Amino acid sequence: MVPIEYYLLLSAAIFSIGVFGILTRRNALLFLMSVELLLNAANINLVAFSRFHGNLTGQTFSLFTLALAAAEVAVGIGIILVLYRNFKDVDVTEAATMRW
Amino acid sequence: MAFQLPTWMALGPTLVLGLTALLLLVFDSIEPDTTNRGLLAGTAALGSLAAVGLSAWYLVAGTGEEPISLYQNTVVVDTMTLFFGLVFASVTALVVVASYDYMRDHSYQAEYYALVMLAATGMTLMAAANSLAVVFVSLELSSLPSFALVAILKKNRGSVEAGLKYFLIGALSSAIFVYGVSLVYGVTGSLLLPEVASGVADTNLTGVLGIGVMMILGGFAYKTASVPFHFWAPEAYEGAPAPVAAFLSSASKAAGFAVAFRVLTVAFPVEELVTGAAGSVDWVLAAQILAVVTMTLGNFAAATQDEVKRMLAYSSIGHAGYVLIALASLSGGSDQFVLAGGMAHLLVYGFMNTGAFLFIALAEYWSVGRTFEDYNGLATKAPFASVAMTVFLFSLAGLPPFGGFMSKYFLFAGAVRAGFWWLAAIGAINSALSLYYYSRVVKAIWIEDPSGDFDIESKPVGLYTAIVAAAVVTVLLLPGFGSVWQFATDAAAALVA
Repeated sequence: MVPIEYYLLLSAAIFSIGVFGILTRRNALLFLMSVELLLNAANINLVAFSRFHGNLTGQTFSLFTLALAAAEVAVGIGIILVLYRNFKDVDVTEAATMRW
Repeated sequence: MAFQLPTWMALGPTLVLGLTALLLLVFDSIEPDTTNRGLLAGTAALGSLAAVGLSAWYLVAGTGEEPISLYQNTVVVDTMTLFFGLVFASVTALVVVASYDYMRDHSYQAEYYALVMLAATGMTLMAAANSLAVVFVSLELSSLPSFALVAILKKNRGSVEAGLKYFLIGALSSAIFVYGVSLVYGVTGSLLLPEVASGVADTNLTGVLGIGVMMILGGFAYKTASVPFHFWAPEAYEGAPAPVAAFLSSASKAAGFAVAFRVLTVAFPVEELVTGAAGSVDWVLAAQILAVVTMTLGNFAAATQDEVKRMLAYSSIGHAGYVLIALASLSGGSDQFVLAGGMAHLLVYGFMNTGAFLFIALAEYWSVGRTFEDYNGLATKAPFASVAMTVFLFSLAGLPPFGGFMSKYFLFAGAVRAGFWWLAAIGAINSALSLYYYSRVVKAIWIEDPSGDFDIESKPVGLYTAIVAAAVVTVLLLPGFGSVWQFATDAAAALVA
């Protein structure tokens, strides 16, 4: 069996890639993909720990996370669509009519 | 009592709100192009008032005194659940009644009210969550409709921009939250809060646990609009339709605190993690830092604003900082008192802040303009609403004859009792500063001469009803604060007795 630390390292690496993507990408769709990476990093943890602890709580919760990630993308794509209609772009820095 | 309700009825407020949302969608599928605003708004208002009634009835009848555990202990109904259920349902009722006028030209009426009700359902469930899985699901159930609500004015650039920023920060922070949950699960092997607490007690993986707890704290900071995840709030509140801004800044913030109170006190007990022998994950210290930074930043930023709505947005960040004092003063020995202070303040805040944002909604309805100068002399045209707004603002500032004074007083007194007098001192200084920018609005409304002509011919019934109701409750909460305090103390006892 692969030791649990390896899974933790893998998920930490994927999480870091996701954070990097969020910080550097200006395209809203790439931002969404990066968020998916973050959520799936958590899923890897949940499934690996579920096996480690010998209960199914983590695996079941990872299904919930998948479903909610899909719902979040559905709302997000809708918002990005109206963003495109209003600003003619999906660049998140374009929408800056209000000061930060 | 002569008869006994089935135990699942303890979730009555949540069920009523959820069923109302589904009923509204049924109306919409029968007649998608309906212009019958009265039916839709009326259904939503009845549903939320029924939830108010149920919560109040359960509270008075003492339903939650013995916590009722449901669904294998993943959901628990105690006094705190009902207390916050009352707050969320009241704010929802006010917002729905005000939306009847504000959203009059909007083409997707049923969807709007259904989204509001769904978000309210998620909030009431947040106050009942006893498992990290339920916390996450209910958090998303209240967040996802809120994203859509902020961006609901599809052709308004401000609304879309606000929705985008709210969504981006929300997606990021919920991902961080769920990663934190996965780490905590890895350390403790369970998602149920009481089992997490026992797992926390006998672990030596404090490093992983600490990262997990801090990430979970980040998720709560987003929901409550606290530093470091606060910067969506001014944008979202400014761009969103004003009733939605009222809903988010009052109910959504209270929901974030409700769930934060329960998760932090039940799953990560102070005596184990902070002051205990193995004390290593000092989340109370983190809450202290966040409380000071949040209230200072919120109040100073509010003092520099030119637009009334944006000023209220920053002031709502400042109020998140005040309530964080309740978390920051734990471990001081009077946990029940400080938590009750936080909860009582959230209830009073729910009415006065909703009312203030609904006055903005009224001003937007009349196309008055957004800056302080635009409000000059508004009292000459709308004296009645202006009196209500004055009540809200002075209550928010914490001046004596209103409900906001009592709740803030008890909140700061709790901090002093717990030995954190410096937190109370910083809070008091910030309150004094807040009086400056609140009275700027009052001065503009009452003292300044009108700069231009107001085009006010209509008196919208719904908006007026909601504003007057909120004002009456804000005033009545001063004499009625005794019973609020009683319920808040009972609610806090459910967590830290």
